[in-house]
Amino acid sequence: MEKHVIEKIEKIVGKENVLKSYEERKCYSFDARAQGAIPDLVVFPLSSFHVSEVLRIANEYKFPVVPRGQGSGVTGGAVPTSGGVVMVFTKMNRIKEIDKENLIAIVEPGVITYDLQEEVKKYGLFYPPDPASHRYSTIGGNVAECAGGPNSLKYGVTRDYVLGLEVVLPTGEIMRTGVRTMKGVVGYDLTRLFVGSEGTLCVITEITLKLIPLPESKATILAFFREVEDAAVCVSKIIAERIVPAVMEFMDKASIICIERANPIGVPENTGALLLIEVDGDRASVRSQVEKIVSVLKEKGVSEFRVTYDPIEAENLWLARRTLSQATYNLNPIKIAEDVVVPRSKIPVLIRKLEELSGRLGIPILSFGHAGDGNFHVSIMIKDEPQDFKKAEEAVREIFRETLRLKGTISGEHGIGILKADYIDMELSQEALSVMAKIKKLFDPNNILNPGKIFPKHILSG
Amino acid sequence: MKELKELKKIEKYVDQCMKCGFCTYFCPVYQEERVETSVARGKNYLVKLALKGEQEFTDELGKILSKCLLCKRCVVNCPAKSQIDRVVVGARAQMVNEKGLGAIKNFVFRKVMADRKRFTRYLKLAKAFQWLLPRTEGNIRHLPDFLKALGAGRNIPELAKTFLRDMVKPAYRPEGVKEPVMRVGFFMGCATDFIYPEIGLKLIDFLVKRNVEVIVPKEQNCCGAAIYFSGDFQTGRLLADMNADAFRDVDLIVTACATCSSTLKEYEKYLPESEDQRKRYEDFSKKVKDSMEFIIDVLKVDPKELKVREEFKGKTVTWHDPCHLVRYQDIKDQPRNILKNLEGIKYVEMPNADLCCGMGGSFSVYYYDLSKKIAKKKTEGIKATGADVVVTACPGCMINLIDNLLHNKMPQRVYHILELVE
Ligand SMILES: Cc1cc2nc3c(=O)[nH]c(=O)nc-3n(C[C@H](O)[C@H](O)[C@H](O)COP(=O)(O)OP(=O)(O)OC[C@H]3O[C@@H](n4cnc5c(N)ncnc54)[C@H](O)[C@@H]3O)c2cc1C
Ligand code: SF4
Ligand code: SF4
Repeated sequence: MEKHVIEKIEKIVGKENVLKSYEERKCYSFDARAQGAIPDLVVFPLSSFHVSEVLRIANEYKFPVVPRGQGSGVTGGAVPTSGGVVMVFTKMNRIKEIDKENLIAIVEPGVITYDLQEEVKKYGLFYPPDPASHRYSTIGGNVAECAGGPNSLKYGVTRDYVLGLEVVLPTGEIMRTGVRTMKGVVGYDLTRLFVGSEGTLCVITEITLKLIPLPESKATILAFFREVEDAAVCVSKIIAERIVPAVMEFMDKASIICIERANPIGVPENTGALLLIEVDGDRASVRSQVEKIVSVLKEKGVSEFRVTYDPIEAENLWLARRTLSQATYNLNPIKIAEDVVVPRSKIPVLIRKLEELSGRLGIPILSFGHAGDGNFHVSIMIKDEPQDFKKAEEAVREIFRETLRLKGTISGEHGIGILKADYIDMELSQEALSVMAKIKKLFDPNNILNPGKIFPKHILSG
Repeated sequence: MKELKELKKIEKYVDQCMKCGFCTYFCPVYQEERVETSVARGKNYLVKLALKGEQEFTDELGKILSKCLLCKRCVVNCPAKSQIDRVVVGARAQMVNEKGLGAIKNFVFRKVMADRKRFTRYLKLAKAFQWLLPRTEGNIRHLPDFLKALGAGRNIPELAKTFLRDMVKPAYRPEGVKEPVMRVGFFMGCATDFIYPEIGLKLIDFLVKRNVEVIVPKEQNCCGAAIYFSGDFQTGRLLADMNADAFRDVDLIVTACATCSSTLKEYEKYLPESEDQRKRYEDFSKKVKDSMEFIIDVLKVDPKELKVREEFKGKTVTWHDPCHLVRYQDIKDQPRNILKNLEGIKYVEMPNADLCCGMGGSFSVYYYDLSKKIAKKKTEGIKATGADVVVTACPGCMINLIDNLLHNKMPQRVYHILELVE
C-alpha cells in the first residue's frame, strides 16, 4: 500500500489505531481455522465516521477492506484473500445503552458477547444467543455470521434478537436499518439481509438488540444411551411432550471415547450416545419439566442419567461438552469442521452415515452438537498428509450430499467464508446465486468489501 | 538454516495452540491494548512461523515477545492447555542466542538511559546491587531486570539501611528444645534482602518460634527470575548452580517471596543443558517451598492459633494473589485460610484477586504506562473492598502495589501476610 494512502488513513483514525509492522500484520492473516493473505494495514476504527472515511479511500484506491471482530470465526470470514486493510472492531466496544423498560440494548460491534450477557444480567435481563465462543467473539461478528448456540432450540439465534443496525455501506454511506421497537414493517427488511452477510455487504457499526427477562432457575440433565437411535427417540419424544428444553446437546460414540481418553467423566461402558439437556423457567415449571423428561428417558431406554439444579454441579456435567472441541486434537492434528443441520427426525440417519464414512475412509469422524435443532458439528480429524486431505474432501462432499438429501443445510451457524465457498452451489441454485451476486454488486460496485468470500470466483465475475 | 536450539525445545508447546482466541478474554495486556500481538494467540503464531523459518528474530519480534507479563492467565484458562509462558521464554532465549542480550535489552536501555533523572536513581540502585553480578560481568548490563523495574518506577522504594544479608546469622536454632522439629534453609531473594529485610527476619522468627531450625547459606544468590525469563539462560544457569550448591546440605528450602519460590521450582523446566544438570535442578526444585505452603501444608500450623499483631487489630484486610503463587504454584487457599481465621481483623476478598498487579518483572520497565493501566484494575478492586490493608506474599508485587496505590492517592497500606501475625 502506498505511503500517502497509509498517511491518509492514519490521519483519520490516529496513528495509535493503525498497525504497520510486518509482524503485527501477520497476526491478522488468520482466524480460528483459516490462513489467508497478510494485510497491508490493520486499522482500528473508533466510530462509524472512521469506517466511512476509510471505505471512501478504499473505493478511490481500489483496495480490499476486511471487517474483523475477534477473529474467532472458523470459515475464514475475517481473513484477507489479497492484502488491503483489515478493519478490526475490538476497540469499538462500548455498551451504549441498556433500556430496561423497553428491553433493548444498543451496542458497538466490538462488545464481547459474554460481557453484554453479564451486564444485562445485572438488570435481570437475558441476551440468549450463546455460541460456544461467547467469551471471545464480538457481537458484530455474531451478527455478521448469525451465530447461534446450544440454546437456539428454545431461544433462537442472533438474527432473532437484532432489531436494527447502523451500517456503513461499502461505498461509504452511513445508514440505519430496522427499528427500536418489537415490530416494524416499513420497507424491505434490510436488517435481516445484513445479519449473516459475513461482512460482504456492509460494515456494522451499531446494533440494537432485543433482550428478554432472565429465567429464574434451571436444571441440567446428563443422559447416556447405548444406541444413537434411543437418544434420537428421546429427543423427539421430549418435544412431543411439549417441552422445549433450552439446551439439548448430543454427542456420538467417537466423541465420547475421545472425551473419556482426554478427560474421563465416568461414562458407562458401551455408551453409544449422550444427551446433555437443560431446562429453564420459574422454579415450579423447571421441576415439572425435569420430571417429564426423566420419565421419557426411563421409558425410552436410557442406560444412566444425572440431574442437578445446582449451577456449580451443572458446570461439571458440561465439562465433557466444553472440553470436547479441544480433545478432538488428540486424535489427529488437523480438524476439518462442518456444521450441517438436518431435520430432527433424520438425526440417526446422518449419524449412521458418518460412522459408515469414517469406517470406509479410515479417518476419525466425530459428531456432536445441538440435537434439539438438528445442528451437528462434524469434525473430520486428519494428519497433515496429502492423502488425508483428499479423503477429508471426499468425506465433506458426501456429508453435504447426505445432508441435502435429508433436506438439511450445509451450514447452521459458521457461515461460508473462504473455506466453504467451493460447496455453496451444492445447496443454492444458479438462480439464487445469481440474485445474490447482483445484490453484492449493487451494494459494492467495486468489490472492495471482503472480496473472495462466500461465492466461488466465477459467480461474481460472470 | 540457523540453529534453533531453544525454539526446538518448545516446539511441542507451540503446536498446542488451536487459535481459538479464548485467551483474549483473560490476558491483562490484551484487555488494555486489544491487539493480537499482545495476546498468547498472536505471540504463539509468530513463534510458530519462526520455527518454520518464516519469521526472523527482528527487533519488532523482540518487542512483541517482551510485551507479556508471564502472568499465565491465558495458560490456566486455555482449553488446549497451551503453555505460552514456556513459548515466550523459550523464544526470548532463542532471541538472546541469535542476537545477544542486546536485542531485547537495548530497547530498555535506550528508554531508561534517555531519562537522566530516572537513570541516576537507577544507578544508585545498581550500585547497591553490584554484588549480584556474576564476577565475570563487570558492568550493569547483567543486572537483574527486577531492579531495572524498580529504577523505572515513580515511587521507587528506599533501599534498606542495612541489607538482610548483613544482619542474618548463618543459623538459627530454636531455644530450649533438644531437637528442632525440622531444619530448613532460608532463601532471601533480592527484594527481601535489599528492600524489605523485615520480611525475612519475620519469617525466620516465625519458624524458630515454632521449633524449626533455620539455616541461611551465605553463598545464595538472586533466584534469576527476571534474568532467565528474559532469555538469558546462561546467567540463569550460573545462578541456578550457585543456589543449588549453596543449599546442598538442607532438605527443605523456604522463602517468603512467591516469585523466588516459583522460579527456584522451575529451573528444571528451562535451564538444563545435560541430563546431569536436569537431575540436579530437579532435586533442588523438589526441596523448595513457598512460605505459605510450608507453614500450612508442611509445618501444619493451625491458622486458628495465629494471633494478629496489635497494630492490625480492627483493620479490614484484603489479599492479592501473586501470579507466581496462584498460577505457577496453585497456592491460593493457604493464605485465605490464615486470613479468614485470624481473629481481630475483617477479611474481605477483592474482586479479581488473581489479576496480575502489572509488574511482570521487566515488563513494567519496558512498558511503564501500560503496566500502570493494568495496575489500575487492581487498585480499583482494592478500592471496592473498602480495606485498610492489602496483604500478599511477594515483595515484587508489594513494590508495584505501593507504587500504584500512591500513584492513585489511595490510603491503603501494603504488607507481607507474615507481617500481620505474631
Ligand atoms: C472454539 C470455537 C467455538 C465456536 N462455537 C460457535 C458456536 O457455538 N456457534 C457459532 O455460531 N459460532 C461458533 N464459533 C465461530 C465464531 O466464534 C463465530 O462465528 C463468531 O460469531 C465470530 O465472531 P468474531 O468476533 O470472532 O468474528 P470474526 O471471526 O472476526 O469475523 C467473522 C465474520 O464477521 C465479519 N465481521 C466481524 N465484525 C464485523 C462488523 N463489525 N461488520 C461487518 N462484518 C463483521 C467478518 O468479516 C467475518 O466475515 C466458534 C469458534 C470457535 C473457535
Ligand atoms: S493460547 Fe489457548 S486460548 Fe489462546 S488461542 Fe491458543 S488455544 Fe486458544
Ligand atoms: S502470560 Fe499473561 S500477559 Fe502473557 S499472554 Fe498470557 S495472559 Fe497475556
